[in-house]
Amino acid sequence: MDWDRRAFVKFAVGGVTGLHLSPLVWKLMDDVSIWTQNWSWVPNPADGALAKANSFNPATGTAVKVRLINSRIIPKDAYNPDGKAPRTRAIRVEGNPEYPLGLGIGGVVPQDASALQNAYLGDVRVKAPMVLDKTTGVYKEISWGAAIDMVAGKLAQLKKADQAQRVVAFGDNPDNTTGQILKAFMAAYGSPNLAFAPRAEDTLALAAGLMLSQPEIGFDLLGAKYILSLGTPLLEGFGAPVAVRAAFTKWRQGGAKLVQVEDRASVTASQAAKWVACAPGSQGVLALAMCQVLLAKGLAAEGSLNGLDDFKALVDSKFTPKAAAHATGLKPVAIEALAVEFGQAKQAVAVCGPGPGNEPGRLGDFMAVLALNALKGNLGKPGGVVVRGALPLKPLAAPAGASAAGLKGAARYAGHSNPLTMAAAALAGDPYKPKMAIIAGANPAYRGPQAGTFAKMLRQVPFVVAISSYLDESATLADLLLPAGTFLESWGDAVTPYGQAQASYGLHKPLLKIQPKSKAVGDALLMLAAKLGGEVAAALPYKSMAEALKARLGDGFKKVAEKGWWVQEKVSYGFNGSVDLQAATIAKSLGHQAASHGHSLTLAAVPSLRTCNNSEPITPHMIKILTDDTLRFKDQTVVEINPETAKHLHLHDGDLVTVDSTEGGFQARVKFFAGARPGMLYMPVGLGHTAFGFYRRGRGGNYNAVAKAEADAVTGLPVWGLTPVHVRKV
Amino acid sequence: MTEQGHEHKRRSPADWWLFVVGLVLFSAIGWVVTPAIIYAEKPQPLNFNHKLHGPDGDAGKSCEDCHSFRDDGSFAGIPRVESCLECHEEVMGETPDEKKLVEVYIKGKKPIPWRVYAKQPPCVYFSHAAHVKNAGMECTECHGDHGTTEKLRPYQENRLTGYSRDIWGWAIHGWADPPERMKMDDCADCHRENGVREACFVCHK
Repeated sequence: MDWDRRAFVKFAVGGVTGLHLSPLVWKLMDDVSIWTQNWSWVPNPADGALAKANSFNPATGTAVKVRLINSRIIPKDAYNPDGKAPRTRAIRVEGNPEYPLGLGIGGVVPQDASALQNAYLGDVRVKAPMVLDKTTGVYKEISWGAAIDMVAGKLAQLKKADQAQRVVAFGDNPDNTTGQILKAFMAAYGSPNLAFAPRAEDTLALAAGLMLSQPEIGFDLLGAKYILSLGTPLLEGFGAPVAVRAAFTKWRQGGAKLVQVEDRASVTASQAAKWVACAPGSQGVLALAMCQVLLAKGLAAEGSLNGLDDFKALVDSKFTPKAAAHATGLKPVAIEALAVEFGQAKQAVAVCGPGPGNEPGRLGDFMAVLALNALKGNLGKPGGVVVRGALPLKPLAAPAGASAAGLKGAARYAGHSNPLTMAAAALAGDPYKPKMAIIAGANPAYRGPQAGTFAKMLRQVPFVVAISSYLDESATLADLLLPAGTFLESWGDAVTPYGQAQASYGLHKPLLKIQPKSKAVGDALLMLAAKLGGEVAAALPYKSMAEALKARLGDGFKKVAEKGWWVQEKVSYGFNGSVDLQAATIAKSLGHQAASHGHSLTLAAVPSLRTCNNSEPITPHMIKILTDDTLRFKDQTVVEINPETAKHLHLHDGDLVTVDSTEGGFQARVKFFAGARPGMLYMPVGLGHTAFGFYRRGRGGNYNAVAKAEADAVTGLPVWGLTPVHVRKV
Repeated sequence: MTEQGHEHKRRSPADWWLFVVGLVLFSAIGWVVTPAIIYAEKPQPLNFNHKLHGPDGDAGKSCEDCHSFRDDGSFAGIPRVESCLECHEEVMGETPDEKKLVEVYIKGKKPIPWRVYAKQPPCVYFSHAAHVKNAGMECTECHGDHGTTEKLRPYQENRLTGYSRDIWGWAIHGWADPPERMKMDDCADCHRENGVREACFVCHK
């Protein structure tokens, strides 16, 4: 045997084969793949002592407990061997079982459970004040001081030139302290052009104010034994979802009956004892027809109702079950039977609004439902419509007297109660073009109504300031970005959710500093006020948001800050005001019907706790739990259609279609759903972001961008629950 | 043109034996050397006698007495030194390990830097409560007879990934089932067998 080249090759090949028969190569391959997994950042929270802090999620109205590790709220005598300042990290948001409206269940909705993701996903957070270099289109970081100087300088300049009204502002919620600060700021500065996201709270308060002279009313869901829900998404995000779910559990246990009146077989409809499939947007008509039956059959409660004769004349002439049959799509006998059942039920309540995405709804619909409740005689009674108690809050310091002078002669945009008409007027320059826009913790370029109009307007305003936690659709159009803290990082509050019987208040405090440079929206406005000086500083004499909240809550501050919530002890029963049925106003509001402009179908949004549509965006985790019936192929919206309607349009299940309205369009997959009303098209709401990074951008279509808003004939508030659309197969 | 003059030599079968020798030799080297290359043996700070502390030992404790669930349902894992302090304020026995525990860690107020055999990668979310309390699994199903041993076995750390050898398993070929191995496939198999959802995000949050 010679040891030559051939022999060596044989030996080497044998050796290599031998190595492959051992685990070395395969094991190394596995290890290398695991090793490379750790190249990118992997969240690796250090294990440590665990503590819980109370907080409140203002977007969902949920009282929560935040689990913190290595916490700074560890008791002082805790074992802390290395003596280093512990680094706090939140690892979980869970429900607060002590919250009385949650009935000890302590639940959360998906948005609460995944709230940490919004806070910690650094690539979509605004991290520092940043100014846009318009020549390069790149944002440059600046200090807070420089940013405030820049905004205050521009505001002072406009004020000096007598153009204060050319500053427009958009806020999220007018009732919380941030909203109050923004209101005081704009009033003292001298611009009337301030709008907030339109909400059903406004319509309900207007309806209740007109009819009961009490704007703060709620539905006593916990006390009710018969619940007639007129299109209300009770289980899909109504009010504070956790509290409503707790009430639902109580209904189930106590044998209460839930009747859902809605055009689509929704989640609430599927959980109800009875689903009444009425035509979309006809709930108000149905309520009036039910009123007519109650009156005609002597089932209406006795008592003095102002304007009863006019009301009777109205319902007898236009809203008999027979007359309502066409509009509601229900048989007159069915309407009668429902009215009699409601009239005879004990502790029965009729609930109205809000529409998907907290759409304000038509005033007439809300008034019709309140009239139905008044005729049922449940005002101030257990399980009826009740007047809420007052919140333990003092108003903010009154704006200085000079502020009224500041507003003198400053023309508002037409239809100022409606942010959409305000944006449209600003866009058209009627009567002037805005020179500056302040977006304070809101995202009108996504949430709309008619999000496209807002985006277009913001693009035209020479200087846009956005105080925002995220690089959202509105912030990406801003010239100056100011980083706002999430509810985990900053002070802030939330007032009673829509339709709740007991007044409640939520307070959140800074538990950690995920983005160290972020500040509460209120803090940014207060800094700006202090810098501007004069009337504005006088109207807002607070150094910080915490100080403003302390001033509003007074002695109660410490306790509420610790617990995270305050709740009115008991539902206040008893109603001693007068009821005015206001038939003329109802007729006016309901008389106006949106024209369909020859479109083939009507698009409506489907609310869901899985997709949400409030001030906070959907989280990537929530997108993960969506099934193919909501979002197909990860990015295509699914639109539901009745198979019969689809047959007429020659559409098949799973077809790719484009859906177009006058405002915009999107591509979608068709899903046959027998629970969809013929002639309708349903899409999920809360998807279709154009910002928010890889996990959220381009996932489906945005209902708010496609919806066509109409102004309510009486309130002027935008209504965008139903949008005429064309559907075309791709 | 001249002929090359090469005659093909007849190769002896010994040449092919060389192939076999190479194959057997390197295969053997692979089997023996792999664990040594990949894993580094690291000492535990001190020995712990589970048998002595366990139900049949002097201390007569159950697993849950020390490896407890917190009030909120989360699993506390390895007990903190404060738990040891309940009994070992002073040296009770004669072992050097106990002496070290008392003098270095308890009196020095230092946490014991245990190396955790079953520590999963940080991208894995594992709830003990879901498995022990809800599914009623025994500790031994994943951790084997660890709770009855007298000596802590050597801890081996993967030089590349930094994870414990228990994850891949002590059988270097990797063909094993829990408690000898704790790979993702084992989690998935058990979930599948028991009809529990096995989507990625169940464990990878």
